[in-house]
Amino acid sequence: MTWLCDGSLEGFLCALYESFRLRRLPERLTRDRSTIDLFEEVYDIHTDDETAAKMMAHLRVQLAPDTLRRILHTTLCDDAAYERELLLYTRLALRDDKALHDLSQPVVFAIEGYEKRLMRVVHRMYGFVRFEMLEDSSLYARIAPPCNVLPLIGRHFAKRMEGERFIIHDTSRNLILVWDTVNLAVHPILEASAPILHAEEQRYRGLWKSFFESVAIEERKNYKAQRNFVPLLYREYMSEFA
Amino acid sequence: MQYFIQPFHKKSLCQNEIFSPHIFHKYYNTIMKLEEKLQILTDSAKYDVSCSSSGSTRGESYGSLGATHASGICHSFSADGRCISLLKILFTNHCIYDCAYCINRSSNDRQRAAFTPREVADLTLNFYKRNYIEGLFLSSGIVSSEDHTMELIAKSLEILRFEHGFNGYIHVKLIPGASDDLIRRVTKLADRVSSNIELPTQKSLALLAPEKSREKLFAPLELVRNDALEQSKHPIGMSTQLIIGATPESDYEILRLSSALYNKSLLKRVYYSAYIPTVSHTLLPALHTPPPLLREHRLYQADWLMRFYHFSYDEILSPQYDTLDERFDPKLAWALRNLHCFPVEINRADKETLLRVPGFGMRTVIKILRARRARSLGENDLKAMKISLKRARFFITIQGKRVKQTTLKYEYLQNQLLALEKPKAGTQPSLFDRFQSFTGEL
Ligand code: SF4
Repeated sequence: MTWLCDGSLEGFLCALYESFRLRRLPERLTRDRSTIDLFEEVYDIHTDDETAAKMMAHLRVQLAPDTLRRILHTTLCDDAAYERELLLYTRLALRDDKALHDLSQPVVFAIEGYEKRLMRVVHRMYGFVRFEMLEDSSLYARIAPPCNVLPLIGRHFAKRMEGERFIIHDTSRNLILVWDTVNLAVHPILEASAPILHAEEQRYRGLWKSFFESVAIEERKNYKAQRNFVPLLYREYMSEFA
Repeated sequence: MQYFIQPFHKKSLCQNEIFSPHIFHKYYNTIMKLEEKLQILTDSAKYDVSCSSSGSTRGESYGSLGATHASGICHSFSADGRCISLLKILFTNHCIYDCAYCINRSSNDRQRAAFTPREVADLTLNFYKRNYIEGLFLSSGIVSSEDHTMELIAKSLEILRFEHGFNGYIHVKLIPGASDDLIRRVTKLADRVSSNIELPTQKSLALLAPEKSREKLFAPLELVRNDALEQSKHPIGMSTQLIIGATPESDYEILRLSSALYNKSLLKRVYYSAYIPTVSHTLLPALHTPPPLLREHRLYQADWLMRFYHFSYDEILSPQYDTLDERFDPKLAWALRNLHCFPVEINRADKETLLRVPGFGMRTVIKILRARRARSLGENDLKAMKISLKRARFFITIQGKRVKQTTLKYEYLQNQLLALEKPKAGTQPSLFDRFQSFTGEL
């Protein structure tokens, strides 16, 4: 049978709970209704916050912090079909956490792979986020990363810009991350109005662009390497590539 | 979402020391626009390669803007595929000296410009806030005198650190010949300082940069190291740059020098820069000679082996065999000359030995060590872990068995391995393919 969940962490936790309650595993676990064909038997998992919280509390007690972190991180890889693998992985972790060392187990390898990839995107975003200064001197950045790294990058920027207020806006997921110099939070939004830029903003953007162009060495031109390091999908909001 | 955000508490701000700048603009051209200056002074600085921003261990905090990140961050990549991490500029490209290989030498007809310390600080802060950069890399031609130049650099740093409480990364090129006091003043405020040795031997220096000598170039580095040792502090990271291909030194001589510099704990990093002719000179390669990029790449690989894989320079090369093989990376070349060390059994060999297997990088070795704790590994286990045996298979046994039929004969291996290096039909071989192993996966 195919199980259908809603793609949130809570939804996943409920699916996990169901697998224990029913003592069985789904043949397929997915969040994507469009992959289900007409005659497939489907079990729609209802997301219940209370069940999810209970499951979470259970995992917190039972699992090593690293394992739990890896599970949470995997649920942020929203461009991959991780659900069934993660379900198996979590059950394996609860049963025998020594098995998690064995990279030749396909689920272990897959889940570690997801996390690694996520962290690579996080590290890239540390560099590729571009803030614009707004009218009121606060900073605003738009991003559209391939997976949902917004919740993971806030601390980094809060640490380095402790005294500045900023918002990072994930335009493909409609989430914003807000640092108001005291608290850090992620909120879903419906839509955003166009930002009003600071009078100096264009000037610094121009200076940055001329720095970017002057720093390249003609004799070493290598667009292939450049594209490999900054894939096109990251360039949308990077002003130097505009 | 609430599971992801760990609480982050603001630490209390320390009192900023107030600094009142009184800047003497001698070379400040008021008419030139900032944008034009930035272009000129970036263009003049770009040949300097030492620009990683990683590994800062500074404990002090100057204020609330900026932090350094242990592993270094690339903010963009320029058209030549290099990482942009720092605002890399010269304070000025005026210079009273005339070093033959340098684009800024006084006899070169070139447009000149100079920043003011305040302009440097302003650019750094505004670029930093927008997350364009990790920090500043400041070098300079020598204007009026060594001390005067160093003073201007010190001013720039003081404005950033004290006036604006800037905590981001700062790397300064010390000016050889400046007074000890000034060098100390700058070193105290920087995360990393360096001084370019430029040419590997005294002889080449005398020929091409007669105002410089080995002693003069080493002096600031030694001063900084000795100060750190005296106060038994963790020494500030220092680096240097060597120009490759401008003068006739062999790879062996270059690696021997680097190794000596690492051993004296004078330096944390030596950078190699393929010489790009920017001026014509009878003693130098002609203009339009292509820079020896592959040689530079091989040197970086060899350097990496010395710093992380416990190879010594005389294992990699020797006086008889003094040039790095262009066809093979230095680890593979070493293995081919030392076939008696192979094959090694992946289930038993220790870490150091595994690291010497061609094709196994640090990450692969760690994977193997971790997995074999659970049980003895077979070939399929390695496949499941996506460990490539393309190169390594000639040098290992798995549970006592060789992978495929191979023999440890030099000629045979050389041909097999050369075939691996051959580009696939239809694809244009590019340097980038070779650069993929740049992260140290040799
Ligand atoms: S002192 Fe430095 S900037 Fe001046 S000519 Fe020599 S290498 Fe160039």
